Amino acid sequence: MRKPGEGWRRHSIPILCAGLLAALPIGSAGAAPPAPATPGHGHDHAVVAAGRLAPSDAADHAVRLQALLGQHSVLAADVMRSRIRGDDDFVQAAEAALGKNTDAMTDLMDRLFGEDMVGTFRPMWAEHVVELVAYASALAARDNTAREHAREELIEYEGELSEFLAGLSRGRLATADAHHALSMHVEHLTRQADAYAKGDYLTADRVNREGYQHLYDLGLVLAETLLPAGDRSALRQPVWRLRSQLGKLLAEHVVLVEDVTRAAVTNTPDFDAAARMINANTRDLTAAMDSLFGTAAARQFQQLWGEHVEQLVAYSAATAKKDEAGRSKARAALAEYEKDVAEFLSGATGERMTRPKLFEAFAGHDEMLLKHADAYASRDYATAHDIAYQTYEHGFDLARQLADAFGETVAARLPRGGAQTGYGGLVTGGR
Amino acid sequence: MVGEVSGPAYLRGLLLLALVAGGLAGLAGAQPSGALSAPGPEPAPQVTGPIAADRFRSESDYAEVALPVRLRIPELRVQSELERLGLQSDGAVAVPKDPHVAGWYEHGPRPGQPGPAVILGHVDSKAGPGIFASLAGAPVGTQVRVDRADGSTVTFRITRISRVPKDEFPTDLVYAPTLDATLRLVTCGGGFDRSRGSYRDNVIAYAEPV
Repeated sequence: MRKPGEGWRRHSIPILCAGLLAALPIGSAGAAPPAPATPGHGHDHAVVAAGRLAPSDAADHAVRLQALLGQHSVLAADVMRSRIRGDDDFVQAAEAALGKNTDAMTDLMDRLFGEDMVGTFRPMWAEHVVELVAYASALAARDNTAREHAREELIEYEGELSEFLAGLSRGRLATADAHHALSMHVEHLTRQADAYAKGDYLTADRVNREGYQHLYDLGLVLAETLLPAGDRSALRQPVWRLRSQLGKLLAEHVVLVEDVTRAAVTNTPDFDAAARMINANTRDLTAAMDSLFGTAAARQFQQLWGEHVEQLVAYSAATAKKDEAGRSKARAALAEYEKDVAEFLSGATGERMTRPKLFEAFAGHDEMLLKHADAYASRDYATAHDIAYQTYEHGFDLARQLADAFGETVAARLPRGGAQTGYGGLVTGGR
Repeated sequence: MVGEVSGPAYLRGLLLLALVAGGLAGLAGAQPSGALSAPGPEPAPQVTGPIAADRFRSESDYAEVALPVRLRIPELRVQSELERLGLQSDGAVAVPKDPHVAGWYEHGPRPGQPGPAVILGHVDSKAGPGIFASLAGAPVGTQVRVDRADGSTVTFRITRISRVPKDEFPTDLVYAPTLDATLRLVTCGGGFDRSRGSYRDNVIAYAEPV
């Protein structure tokens, strides 16, 4: 008999970044952001008969692939928007980050799906990035001919890559479905660029958010259709679903905080749209907490989390005004929040995550976001992107640890056994 | 298509970008932040005018999904108020007192909220059929509607029905904490153990939002 919570424990794998969290700075201004932790780093994993990886490794990599695809969407939008603004320094830094993301993604795909797959996939992927940049450049130049040409190239890419992926899946992924998914990705990026160029930042950010979520989810579709059956089954286990879903929300939180603080430190007209997006993400995180821990806990979480976002924005606003007192005040408020959120989450998880560990993690998270805002304010875009990249990785890895702790906590209080919902013996059979 | 370029992979990617983008670098339009051209870090820009971020407030009015009050499965002629169910002293899920009334497991998500909401109903009693007498035979695609206390309705579609021995009940799959807004309907089925006065199996209908 399967006991409540057994699945969580059985699928529990070592927490890969426990050491990373232990090494995080506690509100230390001089500390460097942690190095990202990559599951199964290197090629020393065990290859099993059914697939290239042990099923738990495959599921772990699949969830990470989702994160990298989501990040691609964000970075591609960054590159396109900076092209439209004519912000050449930012373009350069964003392109470097996008290249790093492509490398990480194709390396992971190599482990998941094999060298042959990546050999064909990578140039196709690179080509679509080139055409997206060409599209944004044409928008900036108001060159409709070049824009249409880029669009035609993108349509061609959608067709080629969807046929390739469908063929690789051996019938599990229909060409039409792959095409629909890829054309939506391109549509999200071109639509957000169109809206951004018109100054319609709310539409641009809303579409961008959809684009992130869409591409993140596409990672699971790829894993479910391209991995061998033995590897795919792990992806349907609740433990992986929760890791994937919380990872999506927390990694998106990082991205949206960076958006809103960039707009805050430069006091640009896209601030209000960015503010609405981060509030929407907080709402989604609160809804997740409600599902896991109930409404009262969710409301408490919302107050804490909301304070955290407000202080990050307040720090950025003070930076824009060169208000040192305001910056210090925001830092002090964040330090209080970090203690409070650590206490709240350690209580909610029955100490499955300890207060010191949580404090270190959230202090590290905030510190990286403050450094990112500082770097962006001083136009050091290369540093800003490096920190943004690391913060995204950190947020995603933290989400994994939280998901495991949340899952185990909830699993421990689930009903035991089946339900006694029949006493008459009048019915027999059923499926 | 992409030509052969040597060097580290990400640098090749950058070069590819540069091939297209480089020639267009000077054709920028003007949008939000100031356009920049000088390389390397610079001092913070002088920001003038009212600071938009000073107005920022995080949302603090979380509105939870309303409680479920009624279940309707027109295809199975099921209509029922919903009793709220907790746990019994032995840790098993409580079941509805009335075999003609379904119950919602109140320690789990509400229907339509992220996560699996669970509604239980009796297949029968000693007096006759219960509210979920025909659940095991429900076709895939059957629509399930849950009315909520705020007057809203959320609709689900049955995607799969399984029958499992009670001592192998898939707790993870039925109640597990994921953020998929799903619904599970649970009743009894299979052989009847007369010595214990209960069915050996549970029937579980898995439903997704429409």
